[in-house]
Amino acid sequence: MQFETSLIHSLRRAVTTRLPATIVLLGTLVLSIVVGAAGGIAQVVNSIVTGGMWALMAVGLALVFGVMNVPQFAHGESFMVGAYVAYFVFNPIHKTLQDNPDAFLAFVAPLLAIIAAGVAGFILGLFLEKVLFYPLRLMSKAGEWVMNAFLLTVGISFILTNGTTLVLGANFRGVPRYWDAEPLTILGAPISVDRIMAFLIATGSIGALWFFLRRTRTGRAIRAVSQDEIGAQMMGINLNFIYPLTFGLATAMAALAGASLLFLFQAYPTVGLNPLYLAWYVVMMAGLGNVAGAIVGGFVVGILQTATQQFAGVVWADVIPTVVMIAVLLVVPSGIFGSEVKGISER
Amino acid sequence: MLELKNLDASYGFLQILWDVSLTVEDGEFIGLIGPNGAGKTTVMRTIAGLLTPMGGEVLFKSRRMNAVPAHRTTKMGISYISESLNLFVDMSVRENLLMGAYIVRDRDRQLETLEFVYQLFPRLKERERQLAGTMSGGERKMLAIARGMMSNPQLLLVDEPSLGLAPHLVADVFHSLQTLQEAGVTILLVEQRVNATLEITDRAYVLEQGRIVMEGPSSELMTNKHIKSAYLGI
Repeated sequence: MQFETSLIHSLRRAVTTRLPATIVLLGTLVLSIVVGAAGGIAQVVNSIVTGGMWALMAVGLALVFGVMNVPQFAHGESFMVGAYVAYFVFNPIHKTLQDNPDAFLAFVAPLLAIIAAGVAGFILGLFLEKVLFYPLRLMSKAGEWVMNAFLLTVGISFILTNGTTLVLGANFRGVPRYWDAEPLTILGAPISVDRIMAFLIATGSIGALWFFLRRTRTGRAIRAVSQDEIGAQMMGINLNFIYPLTFGLATAMAALAGASLLFLFQAYPTVGLNPLYLAWYVVMMAGLGNVAGAIVGGFVVGILQTATQQFAGVVWADVIPTVVMIAVLLVVPSGIFGSEVKGISER
Repeated sequence: MLELKNLDASYGFLQILWDVSLTVEDGEFIGLIGPNGAGKTTVMRTIAGLLTPMGGEVLFKSRRMNAVPAHRTTKMGISYISESLNLFVDMSVRENLLMGAYIVRDRDRQLETLEFVYQLFPRLKERERQLAGTMSGGERKMLAIARGMMSNPQLLLVDEPSLGLAPHLVADVFHSLQTLQEAGVTILLVEQRVNATLEITDRAYVLEQGRIVMEGPSSELMTNKHIKSAYLGI
């Protein structure tokens, strides 16, 4: 009897923890081959590029949810702020460059714009945490926090979107391209330098974050807080240092994504909406708070999006991924890579 | 080293501790015994800074600690090994131990302490790379104690280390606590195993329904009539 229950238990465990991930990864591989065969390598490369950006967005969501238990619905506005900052830094430099060309500055200007967006995002995150979430945490009773934090992020989202419309208007502000260079040929497909750089920025930032979380003292402390908040305090970790830092990092990553994709999305007040939904979609499918799952999930969604557009048409772009998400959640409610979030019920 | 003066503590409206006073001198091994729900863990949580007392005083090295948060008490030299262990389950044994040394910034000293706890618990060295969440109850207990020592504490608060452990492991754990005391660490031990606790501690306090009802040298308490009938069943 004992054997039987433990066998069933372990089988179920194997099925619910590994099998969904294997199926999804295999499915993604097959899908990308199909996409490649039907639409050319360029389609696959493009979906990897956008996938990297969704991964960058989703990692921020996963981090904030895992460490602070904040369901961040203002993450799209961080994307939007990043896009605007990049635009306002890049555009003046671009204008002066037209009068007096300078190859070095032309190469560095987009990077400057994107880095400025990241820094601005980090500062915005710090500010929001210190000014809004910190007092809310002091006032929230046990069990209320997740809901309160959710409502707060929705409020922030409204204010940032409408505030931006008020100050800057609803105009689209974009750049035709960041780097004025010939597309590079990858596996026979021409890929624009902007896309390649966007991919490098996404993977570079994710890699840097991963190294930070795994190998540094402060990064370990962030993970410790997400795994056991009381235990972390007992080790001497100050939550009032870890929370703003985490929120700042997450916001910075969304801003980086917004800035890197400026050539694709342009900057306007509601630009963050679609990336927000996609990032949530990734996080829910991968497992709430699971940072590693969010990275893989971003690429999965990128491919899924491209495949939908190619085989079903653009109008289905939001429908099919949503159907897939619902199907995944019906089978594995904790997400394909499992949820690492602790202590939700205690708050 | 530690002094509680007329401590009152509560969770919301529910008062748990009434007028609790106790002292722990440098290098002493003190036991705090009592039945389930007497408030032993609440005493520990208050000292560790996880709970702010509603009345009375907590003094550590003559400093008032009432409003000092948990992460600061750790820096001041108090280490709390909780009943629920609060391990970082998705981190390896080594990572958990290094987290224990979070406040120790000197890398060499961290590794020195790591060697020391590995000597004390060779099992942990064997399991260095294993995730804490996949270890057995006894190993987790060892890991929690070892992690609590990684900050080089002056005062170690140990909450029910025997809970859920097989008897031979309990002996191991108690033995390691004695080794620690010999190494100069002051220990406050909360336990339900009255007999074993009285055997290894210098002095002990008895907490019942949130009040200290008895205190004295452990050897004397062992022969006390109330203790004998209520806890030892003789």
